[in-house]
Amino acid sequence: MVKKAQVMRVNPKKVDTCKQATSLILDYLTGELDSKTKRAFEEHLMVCPDCVSFLNSYKETIKFTLSLSYEDIPSEMKKRIRRFLRDNIG
Amino acid sequence: MIPRRHRVTKKELSGKGQLSGEDERLLIQRVKAGDQKAFEAIFNHYVSRVYRQAFKLVGNEADAEDVVQEVFLLVYRKAKLFLGKSEFSTWLYRLTANVALTKLRQRKKDKVVSLDDYMPKFRRDGHHLIRPVVDWTQDIDKFVAVKEFNQIIQQAMDQLSPMDKAVVMMSDMEDMPNPEISETLGITVQAVKARLHRARLFLRGRLTDHLGYSPT
Ligand SMILES: [Zn+2]
Repeated sequence: MVKKAQVMRVNPKKVDTCKQATSLILDYLTGELDSKTKRAFEEHLMVCPDCVSFLNSYKETIKFTLSLSYEDIPSEMKKRIRRFLRDNIG
Repeated sequence: MIPRRHRVTKKELSGKGQLSGEDERLLIQRVKAGDQKAFEAIFNHYVSRVYRQAFKLVGNEADAEDVVQEVFLLVYRKAKLFLGKSEFSTWLYRLTANVALTKLRQRKKDKVVSLDDYMPKFRRDGHHLIRPVVDWTQDIDKFVAVKEFNQIIQQAMDQLSPMDKAVVMMSDMEDMPNPEISETLGITVQAVKARLHRARLFLRGRLTDHLGYSPT
């Protein structure tokens, strides 16, 4: 019984609640839902603007994370590390 | 045995330009034999990459410098442990991730933020607790938001556990597929997904909260 319930939660053929829909977002975005579950997820979106909003903000968050940019290593630091390594190897 | 025909070229030593797989293999053989010139060539070629990867995880220059030092010291001392079963760059990536994670774990937590406060909440019947859920993606000024949001995300990333942070970094900053993240971090794909989803929900919650809406 327990096992069945777990499987159901992971891969439901019907998506009745926002809670279920939210738990499927990650696999939906990577295209890992089976076709029935995917359809059920999309059917939920058609009737639930809250989940559409939630999905949009989830996707936008990923975009912002992706857009974080980083400086290259400062050249002074590179020199320091090179010196350190020369002193500590060999 | 050190292959005689391979000498470290100026190009390899400077770290500029591409290193062919064959050149790299030969260089690493020489590092294993304790050749400092070859080691320098490997250092020059990879130091920027290692630094950026380290910085993404530890979040500041000083700690990233420590990580880079430690990583290259290990490369020199433990080169023999690299058996050539994977690409050297993959081996180095994993080594850097491990050293950076160790650094993060040593850090004292000054303030513990409850992830729970930023997670979506649901009513008994499974619908969103607070409705409507606001779609803030429609009305943010992207230009202003990017800089500000980057700061919020950076702060929020620092509040994640080291492992959660590593998962988000690899997935959403470096676009690494989940099975590869699983191998790099030594956790199951299922665990990668669970951590990733939770961390994204938290980051989303922080952004939403910052905009003045209920994160739940
Ligand atoms: Zn819904």
